[in-house]
Amino acid sequence: MSTQIQSDASANRTSDPPLLQVNDLRVYFPFSRGSLFRPEHGFIRAVDGLTFDIREGETLGLVGESGCGKSTTARAIINLVKPTSGQVILEGTDITGLNDRSMLPYRREVQMVFQDPFASLNPRMTVGSIIGEPIAVHGLAKGKDRKLEVIRLMELVGLNPRFLNRYPHEFSGGQRQRIGIARALAVQPKLILCDEPVSALDVSIQAQIINLLMDLQQRLGLSYLFIAHDLSVVRHIATRVGVMYLGRLVELGAAADLYRAPVHPYTEALLSAVPVPDPNAAAARERIVLSGEVPSPDKQYVGCAFADRCWLAEDRCRTEQPSLATKDHAGACWVRATD
Amino acid sequence: MSDSILSVDDLRVSFKTDDGIVRAVRGVSFDVRRGETIGLVGESGSGKSVTNLAVMGLIPKPPGTIDGGSAMYDGRDLLSMGDRELQSVRGKKIAMIFQDPMTALNPLMTVEQQMTEVTRMHMGLNKKEARLRAAEMLEMVGISSPAKRLRDYPHQFSGGMRQRVMIAMALSCEPDILIADEPTTALDVTIQAQILDLLADLQKRRGTSIILITHDLGVVAGVCHRVMVMYAGRVVEKSDVHPLFESPQHPYTIGLLESLPRIDQSKGGELQAIPGQPPDLAHIPDGCSFRPRCPFSIDKCVQQDPLLTEVGPDRLAACLVDVETAERKAVEVES
Repeated sequence: MSTQIQSDASANRTSDPPLLQVNDLRVYFPFSRGSLFRPEHGFIRAVDGLTFDIREGETLGLVGESGCGKSTTARAIINLVKPTSGQVILEGTDITGLNDRSMLPYRREVQMVFQDPFASLNPRMTVGSIIGEPIAVHGLAKGKDRKLEVIRLMELVGLNPRFLNRYPHEFSGGQRQRIGIARALAVQPKLILCDEPVSALDVSIQAQIINLLMDLQQRLGLSYLFIAHDLSVVRHIATRVGVMYLGRLVELGAAADLYRAPVHPYTEALLSAVPVPDPNAAAARERIVLSGEVPSPDKQYVGCAFADRCWLAEDRCRTEQPSLATKDHAGACWVRATD
Repeated sequence: MSDSILSVDDLRVSFKTDDGIVRAVRGVSFDVRRGETIGLVGESGSGKSVTNLAVMGLIPKPPGTIDGGSAMYDGRDLLSMGDRELQSVRGKKIAMIFQDPMTALNPLMTVEQQMTEVTRMHMGLNKKEARLRAAEMLEMVGISSPAKRLRDYPHQFSGGMRQRVMIAMALSCEPDILIADEPTTALDVTIQAQILDLLADLQKRRGTSIILITHDLGVVAGVCHRVMVMYAGRVVEKSDVHPLFESPQHPYTIGLLESLPRIDQSKGGELQAIPGQPPDLAHIPDGCSFRPRCPFSIDKCVQQDPLLTEVGPDRLAACLVDVETAERKAVEVES
């Protein structure tokens, strides 16, 4: 009886198509190295077969260590890097590899907020023109209307509209991140890809920006892809979380489940390594210190890419690649994933 | 305080800039005890790095000046030492590791050349002895086939391995004090865990004192014995690690701890952010520098700049308000 109800519920959810679907996305970067006479060619498999979706109004957190492909994933979604294969489907339309002109209307739907609020704002443009530019590009408003809209956006993100004619260098890191958020909101997107939006900020400012993002989500019904290496921040903001290792998702599930009972050994090790600001809890926590480092993404793994560092690995892990089951909380692991 | 090996008293450092005089460190005092790890926490611009650069004699002058204070090590004041005398301490008795090992290592020299330079200079080893010593140190920090890796250049190491090389180099003259300035900030969490374990283990074996500069309160909770919290060039709270996290006494420390999302618990809802931002160090407001952001502030805080005062056994805080009984009010700050 209970299984009946469950399948009904999941059928219901699938009938409502997700905002964004990513199917078997791959991004390979070709490289050549070695000497002139003994060249070696190959691919860096930055993203190697990702499948996930983002539902309306939710925040999908994407975590993993440097080089795991999380930023490349975001860039491939909005075509800043061309996917090697796979599909990106936005509200039912396949937007994979569209050229710039045909991509333009979809850029309105999906915007991006970057990590470094120093590098991602043009230092020669005033705040008003930075936020107004996307409005002009998409032809949403002109002249006085545009200015009013910019003022509205500045107020929305907690910036004083008096600063309309100031330049980015006159603002602190946190305020600059607010400018970046206002610019992303200018075209009224449905989905914002946030690539490490708070990791360059100081702790006290970080909380302000996280609160702002969560507040905007509630008010405007936004969806976020939230990329971060700080697992504590992701726990706070994300509805669901995906854990990446070497270009693949090794675990995907509701934030509460994933943090409480991680399935994949890599997730478990990652969570256990995060320091907690409480000396008693820190002493009581059992830490799994992984040996070695993340291997290079330039070779193809026959089995599980994590097997060499995994304390649970069996023979099968080195010969067959585990896949991620399509259920609410799944880990790509032969040992842990039971069915 | 007989077991203290470094004693910094009323250190003041400022920099001349186009905006005026930036008072980066405004009267910082602390002791480093033998075999302990003391944490220096604070946000960018709080003066935690400048404090230690001053102790090491590494403040560029101009634009920087040491306006006062002393740093007593082994009966001598590091701040008034000449360059030559300082050379005999720096790198040998007090060593430093930095956040970014790639920029701290010379990319054009092999690891062996860089590691042996220190030991030949400070310990008077010959080339062969120095090479053996370097290999031994690399092995100690957990680098496999050390003799072979000595011939490699820094770019041939990963980020975590480079930080290990830095640690090996810093410890090769057996210093009394290791100053670690954000040593794991550029590293991934699993590598961070490895490096922090390594530092704790080396400390246990050799009794080195560590000054750990970090913005990460989680790292502090995990490895430090004592903590100093810095804000706008001042120490605002100084305490053993347990009481600091259990009952923080300065509103800034309270604010920092409350603003952190935690991995081990779901806080839900809004984070308690600290409103506003740190003051411009060229124009520090009168009175308490944290007052504009402080939910506990009272009228007195506007005129009086609070000094560090005892609030418990071995605990100091610079606040005029008793935070345990005071009421909080809403803070209006323009962002």
